[in-house]
Amino acid sequence: MVDHQHVGFTCTCPSRKTPCKHALALLLLWVRDQVVDTPPPAHVSTWIDRRSARRTTASRSADGDGASSDTASESTAPEPAASETVEAGDAIGESDPTQPVPQPDRNTARNDRVERMHGGLSELDRWLDDRIRTGLADPSLARYATWDDLAARLVDAQAGSLANRIRRLAGLVGASPGWHDEVLAELGLLHLLSQAGRHLGSLPGPLADAVATSVGWQVKQADVLAGVPDTDHWIVAGRSDVREDRIEVRRHWLRGTSSGRWALCLSFAAYQQSLDASLRVGTSVHADIHRYPGPALRSLVGARYALPVEPVSPPSHTIAEGCDEVGSMLVSEPWLDRLPVTIRARLARSGGVWALADATGSLPVLDAGTRQFDAGLAMLLAVSEGREVDLTVEWTPHGVVPLSIHLPDRTVDIGPRANTSFVSAA
Amino acid sequence: MKSVDDHWQALVTTALLGTDRREPPEAPQLIADLVADTARTSASERMLALVAATTAVRRAGVVPGPLLDELAIPDGDDRRPCVPAAVDRWHHITVSWPVLEDEWMLTLVTAGWRIAPELLPAMLVRHRSDPVRRTRVMVGAGSTGRWLVGHLPDLAARHPNATVTPEALAELPELPIAPELAQLVNWPGAESGGVLAQSLEDGTLGHPHRAMLINLLARVRADALLDIADILDAVDSASPGYGLATVLGDLATTRHRMLDELST
Repeated sequence: MVDHQHVGFTCTCPSRKTPCKHALALLLLWVRDQVVDTPPPAHVSTWIDRRSARRTTASRSADGDGASSDTASESTAPEPAASETVEAGDAIGESDPTQPVPQPDRNTARNDRVERMHGGLSELDRWLDDRIRTGLADPSLARYATWDDLAARLVDAQAGSLANRIRRLAGLVGASPGWHDEVLAELGLLHLLSQAGRHLGSLPGPLADAVATSVGWQVKQADVLAGVPDTDHWIVAGRSDVREDRIEVRRHWLRGTSSGRWALCLSFAAYQQSLDASLRVGTSVHADIHRYPGPALRSLVGARYALPVEPVSPPSHTIAEGCDEVGSMLVSEPWLDRLPVTIRARLARSGGVWALADATGSLPVLDAGTRQFDAGLAMLLAVSEGREVDLTVEWTPHGVVPLSIHLPDRTVDIGPRANTSFVSAA
Repeated sequence: MKSVDDHWQALVTTALLGTDRREPPEAPQLIADLVADTARTSASERMLALVAATTAVRRAGVVPGPLLDELAIPDGDDRRPCVPAAVDRWHHITVSWPVLEDEWMLTLVTAGWRIAPELLPAMLVRHRSDPVRRTRVMVGAGSTGRWLVGHLPDLAARHPNATVTPEALAELPELPIAPELAQLVNWPGAESGGVLAQSLEDGTLGHPHRAMLINLLARVRADALLDIADILDAVDSASPGYGLATVLGDLATTRHRMLDELST
């Protein structure tokens, strides 16, 4: 909504720019005389009335103080843009529009949060510096306290995503013969994120959004859902469940039939809660997808326009083409640690390690290690019988995780599944 | 000229020792250009910048690994794999009505189906210790089963040398049924269903008899199941046996559908 007479605007979009592009677009339309002259809807009238009441109160207050004349009051009437853009919720939040409402100083709260995050990122960089100075052979790396203390401090600094990365990193120490290699790479990416996070203001908009999200900046679901939707027939190409700390995380990878773009829908469940079972692998859903800020794949499913259709499968690539697709996604965000790709490949063995292979090369399958029997790999072997099949996999830096096998008449979901004694996971 | 991979190995070696003991390696031009604009004074800061840049370059440049030989594929099997509905049914009965699992498998083998490949790993894991059920799975799986176990030793039987007689393989296990109920096994559905519904409504049969009633419905003649399910579904909802009748009706329906899906 835009008040062109007293210059004010409000929007439900998550943009941190003031005014946002939607308000600017509306003003441009008005300047070009392209806004239809109709009676304002109820919520617009309420907003205008409230602004008017505020102006009246402010001018009375100014008169009472013996301040300047009406003319002078008029000249200072336009309100600061920043205070307007945070009014998205107040159309439904106030009972008496004639009373001035004390606004929470959201900019101050935001600045405090940014400052805390900067402090946390500086501390992370100091910690990384110590690790590099003393070396990965330092016995302190094998102690959980080394990692847990840092993770806790990052949580306090509102950098929850980095805290999760630190906890996952702790699990890599000593877990495989090549753990030094994996830990060093992750330390490098943490350094990259901490540096980028401390210079958000100087980064291009989409990259800044991506870094902020990767560091742990929270965006409200309502704000994401208020954004412009990406409407398409979305193929649910794969699913994977992963336990992170005490939360089970379900990832659904969707691919747009028209756009060819990937989207990631997450659901979370603590003990005895339920994961989202509304997206079934191998079906296509005609729906709106609302993306989080930045180029990241994370999205929310909005309106659904029809019942799911099956069987469908995304277009597949050779392994070389799949690597190109993954590489192009990693160029913009090298810290991403899971990416989807659909390839046509067969299982093969390479020195005791399972791999996916075709005529262009191979990709190692992520080793389940000693944790448990790898049911997904066994299903893939049984269904493919050593032949090439179309399959959606999740790329990780340590190998690919097969998620689903796309057969002509059906899709077989073979992604890692949550333990049903912990959460309900249909 | 040093490759990015060689440079990475040098970085790992330095990181193991720590920059207090070893200076960061000299970077190839590609990486050096990336970190050239950073003002870093200490060796550890320079090292971190190098590690970050090299990791980003290596990840973005992900390339396929070497070409690998094909696996030998299993021998052919003329039998059709069971239909997806039967696959879903197996998952359902192993969770809700395990009493039906033996009949599911025997019906599948008798009717000339092959176990759908996506069921094989779960079945082989489930029946590693029971020689009779294990043998039935291997018969239903055919050459793919043997091929799969050859590649994944985790799926091998716990007692590979156990002997199984053909009779044990072909017969359903005997289930305990009380003598007064046993006669219902061969009755037509309308009659046996009527007796059951009446007994549940008047409380003659109740939850203490649940296990016995489940065994009965797992063995009544197949053509009686639909009638029994209909009659049990019509049990008075105010009667004490309504809950149990609903459960038994579900069992009868499940068994009827299972046999229907596996009929030739």
